[in-house]
Amino acid sequence: MAQSPRSVGRGVLGRIGRSRLMIFFAILGPGLISAASDNDAGGITTWSVIGARYGYSMLWLLLLITPILAVTQEMGARMGAVTGKGLAALIREKFSLRVTAFAMLALLVANFGTTVAEFSGVASAFGLAHIPPWLAVPPVAVGVWVLVTRGSYRKVERVFLALTAVYVAYFIAGFLAKPNWGTALHGTVVPHAQLNSLWLLTAIAAIGTTITPWGQFFIQAYIVDKHISITRYVYTKVEVYLGAVFTDAIDLFIVVACAATLFKAGIVVNTAQDAAQALAPLAGRAASLLFGFGLLNVSILGAAILPLTTAYAVTEAFGFESGLDKKFDEAPMFNGLLTAFILVPALVAIIPGLPLVKVMLLSQDVNGILLPIILIYVLKIINDTSVMGDYVNGRVYNTIAWAFSIALIGLSVTLVASPFLFRG
Amino acid sequence: MFFLSKLLGSPVRDSADKAAGTLHDLVVSSRTAYPRVTALAVRRRGKVVFAPWAAVTSFEESGTLLRLPGADLGERDLGADELLLSATFLDKQLVDTDGHKVIRVNDIQLLRTGDDVHAVAVDVSSNALLRRVGLAKVGERLAKGRQNPKPHLIDWKDIDVEQTDDSSVRLAVPRTKLELLHPADIADLVHELSPEERAAVLDALEDELAADTFEELHPSYQASLLLDLPDEKASELLNNMAPDDAADLLADLPDDRRQHFIAMMEKEDAEDMRELLSYPEHSAGGIMTVDYAWARLDDTAAKATERLREQEEYVETVYYIYVVDRSEHLRGVFSLRDLLTVDQDKKVRDFMTENPVAVSTLATEEEITDVIAKYNLLALPVVDDEGELHGIITIDDAIDLVLPLAWKKRLPRIFH
Repeated sequence: MAQSPRSVGRGVLGRIGRSRLMIFFAILGPGLISAASDNDAGGITTWSVIGARYGYSMLWLLLLITPILAVTQEMGARMGAVTGKGLAALIREKFSLRVTAFAMLALLVANFGTTVAEFSGVASAFGLAHIPPWLAVPPVAVGVWVLVTRGSYRKVERVFLALTAVYVAYFIAGFLAKPNWGTALHGTVVPHAQLNSLWLLTAIAAIGTTITPWGQFFIQAYIVDKHISITRYVYTKVEVYLGAVFTDAIDLFIVVACAATLFKAGIVVNTAQDAAQALAPLAGRAASLLFGFGLLNVSILGAAILPLTTAYAVTEAFGFESGLDKKFDEAPMFNGLLTAFILVPALVAIIPGLPLVKVMLLSQDVNGILLPIILIYVLKIINDTSVMGDYVNGRVYNTIAWAFSIALIGLSVTLVASPFLFRG
Repeated sequence: MFFLSKLLGSPVRDSADKAAGTLHDLVVSSRTAYPRVTALAVRRRGKVVFAPWAAVTSFEESGTLLRLPGADLGERDLGADELLLSATFLDKQLVDTDGHKVIRVNDIQLLRTGDDVHAVAVDVSSNALLRRVGLAKVGERLAKGRQNPKPHLIDWKDIDVEQTDDSSVRLAVPRTKLELLHPADIADLVHELSPEERAAVLDALEDELAADTFEELHPSYQASLLLDLPDEKASELLNNMAPDDAADLLADLPDDRRQHFIAMMEKEDAEDMRELLSYPEHSAGGIMTVDYAWARLDDTAAKATERLREQEEYVETVYYIYVVDRSEHLRGVFSLRDLLTVDQDKKVRDFMTENPVAVSTLATEEEITDVIAKYNLLALPVVDDEGELHGIITIDDAIDLVLPLAWKKRLPRIFH
């Protein structure tokens, strides 16, 4: 049988059952994988910086983001289950070509920035071992390219995801650092905002790293690929919610661990070395090693997922042949995009003197600013009865999603206007 | 010719010249090979209403005029073989018979034929994308840089409407067999263009492409079309055509025009034409072409290969090489396979097949096809009573004798 063109993680279910070890992964589905992928290089860095810079005071944002992540991811999953089509296909078929081109442009820009961030993560991780980026990044980029184009990526993906369990280290480090739980709780439930552009930038990055344009395309593609039908959808829905909670729990403990160590010691995160110190209560001198390993792992995973998502979305929007099982000349557009989206960001990431942490943080801002564009398309489509039939959004969903989109636009506008609104 | 994307959203005005809404979609009947527009779907105040095609007085990109009052437009159900053109096809994924994705339907080309409008082709070009995004100028600039504008239209006949559903538009051919059309080929698709329009389209094409397009036209149109073209263009066209096709065409012209065009040819070509024209139209002499690959008895295989390289450009087929002596008598034949496999020093006379199968210049169509079928030939030499070689008949010309023209177009092009 020909491979489903929209696949991002196809064939996964089919292989399960052959190996008892894989039974564990059978529980992991699109929801968990998509949400866990949010904790990529940009994600880890952003939440580390937040903990170090603002202590516990931004935790409330995480509490707010979690249901929104659950809602947005569920919408993507539902669209995939009902229509059997990817988000790019729905946008092309429901909106004008001009709108499609605009959406694709936004996705390309956001994904390019994010992929640069992933390779910056690779560079940072190797930087901990004093290996310069120009030496570390090119072999990794070539490795990722081979992994993805030779098709063995599918198997490796699950290994990487299992390895993200190393972030459990943050749970432990969070406890061992003896945080002030009272302050942490206060920061979680009492909203607190600072009116300056740095805070705004950080807040948008926090949102933009968790709820991402690519994440919307990714989860929908994954659902389509696994042929999850709307009748079996209830399990997926639960799993999507679980994924959101699980992912944000990791983020919460990253913030707590960083707040209890870095913030307390007044350390500003400028390099991965600084961020790694948050794991010192757990790993002591091996903190750098542990952090570096985790960062490298999620960065490579991201550096594979982002180009894949981009190539699938763009080829789907314009109808070019796609699929990892296709030879280069059978799907030239797909393979070309995939290759370019691995190699060019890798080259950008090795520019000498590039402030890696800043790049990772800023790319999440780009994501946050472009996110409302994609979300508005999602909301338009998911409320269209000619597409979704009985499965259009309920009122609660629409309220949450629209309020969030508008708030995010408001944040972005405020950010752009911030130099004129307030000093500092 | 015009594009669906440019029509959609254009204003619709009623009999009182009042705004009746905007064009939302076209209702087409899929009963014909090229779907005919049977009604307009008009969006008015958020609702979609329909106007029968008979009520349309003017249908342009700039807008549509109806002979009905706007209030008479109402809802209606689609007939059994009716489709909404834009909703069903535009922007949908094109998939070939093997399930491979080709591209999305970037636009649909419509053609006015008398009072009717038909969908004739699917535009798959990136220019269509640019045009619809509002970057038509960029597309034009890109196109200008290219010598040969690429063909980019899929003949509507290749669309499998039966198999088309919500998920994709199906093609009736595999992707590898898909032959894209140049916009000018549209002239050939629906034989409803006026002679002037056809001539204008051909005149705009560069010579070689025009000749190719021209050869694909129905023979009954060719002669009249040639006469509509400027002399220079017509003469170029004839020069670029295969001699046998050119001779057939000249045979259909009035005497004075025929002599005129032959006079405009180079001496050698003109002689070939005169010879070809001297045979009855349906005899071997009338069907054959004079461009064949040849070699001499005393050539070595290496020398014959060298000759073939020089001849390759203009001969009809390179698979058979005919051996002729100085007085043009047919002495033997060998195949490209022989040439490639024998020792390069070997003489042609030592490896050729003697006494090859041949027909006389006056052989009938039936004899020709019988001989080709019986001996499984790719080409058949034509000789006169003295055994002098005058030309060959290739299998594709022979197929034309037994198959109707429309069938031939579906066959792979082996000999081009």
